[in-house]
Amino acid sequence: MKQIDNFEYPQGLRDDFKKAKKLEWITIGYLITTALAMYLTMGNSQAMKTAWFEDLLSLTPSVSFLIASRIFFKSPNRDFPFGYHRVVSIAYLCSALALFSIGTFLVIDSVITLAMREHATIGTVVVLGHQVWLGYLMIAALLWGTFPAIILGKKKLPIAEKLHEKNLYTDAKMNKADWMTAAAAIFGVLGIGMGWWWADSVAALVISVDIVHDGFNNLRQAVYDLMDQVPMTVDNQKRDPLIEKVKETLAGQSWVKDCNIRLREEGHIYLGEGFVIPAREDNLTQLIEEASREVRQLDWRIQEFVIMPVEKLPKEEKA
Amino acid sequence: MKLFILAVGACLLLAGCEGNFPKDPERTLEKAKQDQLVVGYSENPPWVVKGDTAPTGIEPDLVRAFASSIGARVRWQNDTEQKLFEDLEEKKVHLVIAGITQKTPWKKKVALTRPYLKQGKEKHVMAAIRGENAFIVALERFLHAQEPQLKQTLGHETDR
Repeated sequence: MKQIDNFEYPQGLRDDFKKAKKLEWITIGYLITTALAMYLTMGNSQAMKTAWFEDLLSLTPSVSFLIASRIFFKSPNRDFPFGYHRVVSIAYLCSALALFSIGTFLVIDSVITLAMREHATIGTVVVLGHQVWLGYLMIAALLWGTFPAIILGKKKLPIAEKLHEKNLYTDAKMNKADWMTAAAAIFGVLGIGMGWWWADSVAALVISVDIVHDGFNNLRQAVYDLMDQVPMTVDNQKRDPLIEKVKETLAGQSWVKDCNIRLREEGHIYLGEGFVIPAREDNLTQLIEEASREVRQLDWRIQEFVIMPVEKLPKEEKA
Repeated sequence: MKLFILAVGACLLLAGCEGNFPKDPERTLEKAKQDQLVVGYSENPPWVVKGDTAPTGIEPDLVRAFASSIGARVRWQNDTEQKLFEDLEEKKVHLVIAGITQKTPWKKKVALTRPYLKQGKEKHVMAAIRGENAFIVALERFLHAQEPQLKQTLGHETDR
């Protein structure tokens, strides 16, 4: 069976990839410390519990990125002629599903807490001989979970776009949005301090709805990816402009009378086909080879592009 | 983002300046000061010993001292532990003492203070209404201050 070529990031991106891996290791270490800090100060505040879950969940994109990055470089072989690129999409699906399902659970949990009119108790703890209200420690833990996360997120975002790496992008986005969780949870804790028993579960509800929202968006994108949706830019705004470029390149060949293309995404890379009606038939094999090479040279992401001469183009696409 | 820092800062400042933070949703501490502190007790010597008019023992002594520290009168109410915890859940009593340890199966329904005395694995606590944080903080502060003395007098007694 014909296998696709071995994949490696182009020279210019290898350093970015190394940096991304390093940043993800730092993220994991950091998230473990915040999860620990939150667990130790959680008490029986629902908002803290939800923020803690959110924190643990935000580990999944980094972990899945690091796991996937060990696998997707593996060479295509007899059993996997397309290589291992789709591991990235599968990892993305897993983290999105985790986000969505735990978010749903937390929404239900928070609604029950609110409906039962649970009053969260926050007492005192003795730290280094000083007796302090646990609420202040909760706020400290939440702040520790905010600022470094924002910095990490800001550093990862541009790299994720360059590497066309969705796990990394989700991760960076979540890190950057972390301050909203912290703000909601701090409101919950301060609300308890003000004697508003409902503040805690309302804050928890806000956080969990946000988790579901993130989870749903990512889940949808992950499913679309696995269904071979047309390649989208990593920030999911629009069709990748590369599609048009490929089409133009093919249409620009002097020997091509008419053409149409089809691209799909496998992890970081694109595979695709072009259907062409040749204007003349002599030297066709060589012309096809050359055109295919030219398309591949457009961008590192285009890993394989098959050109098929046809008499009639497949039906025009429906909108 | 900057707004967030500002908001949190403002809240903390407000909370810090205002002396009574955290507050009680049901105003237990205020009620105790203005009216009376309703304490349920169930016999469990030496922690709580039933007396003729009022209980004696380690915990009633602590409660009396706490009440006078916040200027509250104590109204004692004797019952079984089961009934007292039910009353506490329904906010009919403010505080329950019965030689309770942290292992009590009621811990999900009520608020336990942090242990005021540890004896091996037994961590002794009192039980208050859930979420009445001003009251709980006041009680815990008082109990924490008594800890060294309690350890001295009781540590030896029960080490036997």
